[in-house]
Amino acid sequence: MRLSLATRGGMAAPIARRLPPQVLDTDRLPDDAVRELRRLVAAASADPGGAHPAPPARDAMTYTITVDDGPRSATLVSSDTSMSPAFAALLDHVQRHLG
Amino acid sequence: MTPTRTLSCITPPFILTRLLDSDNVEIRQAALATLLTTAQLRGERSVRGLIAGALATPADGRRSIFDCAHSTYLPSARLTRSENDEPVQDASVNRAYDGFGTTRAFFQEVFGRNSIDDRGLPLQGYVHRGNRYNNAFWDGRQMVFGDGDGQVFLDFTGSLDVIAHELTHGVTEHTAALEYHNQSGALNESMSDAFGSMTKQWLLRQTADQADWLIGAEVFTPHIDADALRSMKAPGTAFDNKLFGRDPQPDHMDRYVQAPDTEDGDNGGVHLNSGIPNKAFYLVATGIGGNSWEAPGHIWYESLKASTQTTDFQAFADTTYDKAGTLYGADSREQRVVKEAWAGVGIQITTAPTLGRG
Repeated sequence: MRLSLATRGGMAAPIARRLPPQVLDTDRLPDDAVRELRRLVAAASADPGGAHPAPPARDAMTYTITVDDGPRSATLVSSDTSMSPAFAALLDHVQRHLG
Repeated sequence: MTPTRTLSCITPPFILTRLLDSDNVEIRQAALATLLTTAQLRGERSVRGLIAGALATPADGRRSIFDCAHSTYLPSARLTRSENDEPVQDASVNRAYDGFGTTRAFFQEVFGRNSIDDRGLPLQGYVHRGNRYNNAFWDGRQMVFGDGDGQVFLDFTGSLDVIAHELTHGVTEHTAALEYHNQSGALNESMSDAFGSMTKQWLLRQTADQADWLIGAEVFTPHIDADALRSMKAPGTAFDNKLFGRDPQPDHMDRYVQAPDTEDGDNGGVHLNSGIPNKAFYLVATGIGGNSWEAPGHIWYESLKASTQTTDFQAFADTTYDKAGTLYGADSREQRVVKEAWAGVGIQITTAPTLGRG
């Protein structure tokens, strides 16, 4: 499984859009971490939250997580002020592994 | 049996309690004082509770700083420092607290504005938001700050002008409510940069000539070759490095960026084209001379209050010219400098204000 994370917007929007997507390849992760990631992807796919920031938000970021898992592919989009807890959990997990 | 005493009061309590919500601070205080007096005499539990609620109502921009502990779910954040609390161990909490205090004092002392909404809206800040979070934002009610990834960005509370930038988004929301796309969105961003920079200059007691006019000079790690997120003095020069290239902000209408009105296009380039009104404000401040928060700040503040959701660059420029004339006189030096400054970024003042054009 391969996940890529692209970030747009935010106070440093002109910089964020020039940074390449970050890629997490699960080949290097232990099996239990991959299982957990699949569980988080399934939960976030079922309920990613709103795709756009709530209208009064300023400088909010939007995230696009693309998941390639064998023949299956999915793209999840949400933002700082509209993401569901499931999307937040997936984003946090991906960012921790990228770090 | 205890005899019941009934006191006559010319203003019924339900009216007094309604007056606690008045916009007028003197009316609120008078109502509170009356309720206090009558409650002391009556000893009524219900009225005492009401007064306790009124006293507990946060006012005058009371600060509360919450620690997100790297969660993105704000309701789970822990209140770490409240108004009048002593400093805590966490430097991010203290920086947010102090930054709110400075910005609150700046708006109060310079413009007579009582917090974000001019009615004492409590200031709530959330720090340590998310994991390696490279941002700060205003969510419509409160300000949120990330720690940065430690590779490109540091903690966003490290920059006073960033804190003041986010707080000013709230001020704009409660005044012009400039729509966050295209030119009105770029103006919205520019207001946050202008008042953010003025806040820092005011704290440091720097004249326009002495100030660096940088936004976010403290948010990059030492490994990153960048002066700041933006330069109001010289838009397009804040950074130039291999990782994310050259600062793309324009400093003139000739270089206005036509970006898609999408999140991928930064809502029509709101963080790009803000360079144009940013440069105009810098030219006004240095052209008039002295402190930016004096005549230039007052012209911009009055123009912000006179703007609407769809005000564009031309309409705002015309309004600043009009306000400069109102505040300092027709054909005053201030008004002439405003006209020259906008011409310097490619916008010619038209004599009739055109507020409301989108």
